[in-house]
Amino acid sequence: MRGKVAIVGYGRTPYSRVKPGEPVLTVDEYIAWAADLALQRAGMSKNDFDGQGLAVAHAEAAHTVNWSASVAETLGISPKVLLRADQGGASASALLIRAAAMIEAGVVDRVLVVGADTPLTIPSVAPGLPLSPERSRGPYWDFQGPFGVMGATAQFALIQTRYQHEHELTDEQLAKIAVVTRYHASLNPGAIYRKPIAVEDYINSRVLSAPLRLFDCVPIVNGGLAYIVTAAKSARTITDRPAYLLGFGEVNNYYHGSRTRPDVTYTGFVKAAPEAFRMAGVEHKDIDLFQPYDDYPFIVVMQIEDCGFCKKGQGGRFVEERNLRFDGDFPLSTDGGQLSGGQPGGAIGGFAPLIEAVTQLRGEAGERQVKDVSITLSLGFGGIPYGRPGRSCAAIILGSEG
Amino acid sequence: MRQSADRKPLPEITDLTRPFWSAAREGKLVMQKCPSCGTIDFFPKPWCIECGKREREWVEVSPRGTVYSYTVASLVMMNLPGWEKDLPVILCLVDLDDGGRMYAQLVGCPPEEVRIGMRVEAHFEQISDEAGIPKFRPL
Repeated sequence: MRGKVAIVGYGRTPYSRVKPGEPVLTVDEYIAWAADLALQRAGMSKNDFDGQGLAVAHAEAAHTVNWSASVAETLGISPKVLLRADQGGASASALLIRAAAMIEAGVVDRVLVVGADTPLTIPSVAPGLPLSPERSRGPYWDFQGPFGVMGATAQFALIQTRYQHEHELTDEQLAKIAVVTRYHASLNPGAIYRKPIAVEDYINSRVLSAPLRLFDCVPIVNGGLAYIVTAAKSARTITDRPAYLLGFGEVNNYYHGSRTRPDVTYTGFVKAAPEAFRMAGVEHKDIDLFQPYDDYPFIVVMQIEDCGFCKKGQGGRFVEERNLRFDGDFPLSTDGGQLSGGQPGGAIGGFAPLIEAVTQLRGEAGERQVKDVSITLSLGFGGIPYGRPGRSCAAIILGSEG
Repeated sequence: MRQSADRKPLPEITDLTRPFWSAAREGKLVMQKCPSCGTIDFFPKPWCIECGKREREWVEVSPRGTVYSYTVASLVMMNLPGWEKDLPVILCLVDLDDGGRMYAQLVGCPPEEVRIGMRVEAHFEQISDEAGIPKFRPL
């Protein structure tokens, strides 16, 4: 599969915090807007996708049985193939893998991949609890809500506590990630929080669910993203700067150890990342840009370890010793990540690491452009299983040469 | 979503999960055990996640366990507002002595004293006519 498909266009709408006076857009409107930006960048029309592929990432605001076909209807496209992923923050990467397989099998030549969500305007019965079925009913909820689980931040706080029990990870190391993503956000006009912060700002921010603080958390936004993937041969006729898919790896519902009492300090990237490296035929030293799924700084540390940049337990020191800036020796989250860039809901945030990787490979990152970037690793990470981190893990290696 | 009069979430009880809620209502901790491979698992599932056998039996397990991890939540996030008056909530992952791991609250313990490895024991609070819930205290 190495080099058989490429991303030829992408779009990201401005994000909204739904401040008074801002227009309130629906998921459909954000999808159309993001798709329009991607099509314009690729010099294509939505009609180019009749008889081709349309892929839709499941939004929390919209969970109809025929969601992907409904999106096709809204956009007026008659695709041969509909793909839909419901893997939360891993959906964008998983859809790239599905699309690549469809293209390589000759079923279609190209796929338009879209995702948007409006978590700030979903009706809610409780603080921050959107009314999606997976969050508010079924055995998963029944054995969490009544037990006092306060959502993702409490769930991930349990993982960080255990990690810090087994391994050294200091406030200063975590702060460094929050500070560098904010610095990158200051260089990205599309990021939602752009005022630089210092280590002390992170450390002094309010504790929400100890050890997690306010500055450990992503700002939730409304917004949409899209990208276009085609067969490599077609890609070269569409753009002179395709971002080729060199390697991928994916694992869902990974257990590290026993299924009933796994070691929660590992994620599925210990399986997914080596697969991606093998397929791409590259090594860690070849990665010019790392785009983790940064829903919390300590998750970035775990992903650095699980992707093999250092040994388990040494991620904190790795972060301390390396320069994470766009012009440093280990650039990461150059768009500001989700921590400072914004997260259009847990379902759609996973587009951002992938799209920033493409932006960088195409040399379109402006002030934050990484010099001579030719190979990137980006991650999709979605869903929170009971008592564990990350239901779906997908690792994507892209390159500017096929 | 069902909720109690004081705005805390109540479970939607099904035939699969009823034995847990009914037992907790009676002050007992029960979990599913696989008659084939002996795995004890929580929460209830339609087959054994180790070996895939659909036969399940409910067994009473020891209410004692060990704190695997913990967090102290100082505000209500993605849950019902009824929890507000209980803050700070110490939420743990508890490894039960007989097997299985569960989310559960630790009470009767100052937040600064909770530790990984702490020995804890369940007691039960009634949350509806049909259901009770285990909470843990330090042993």
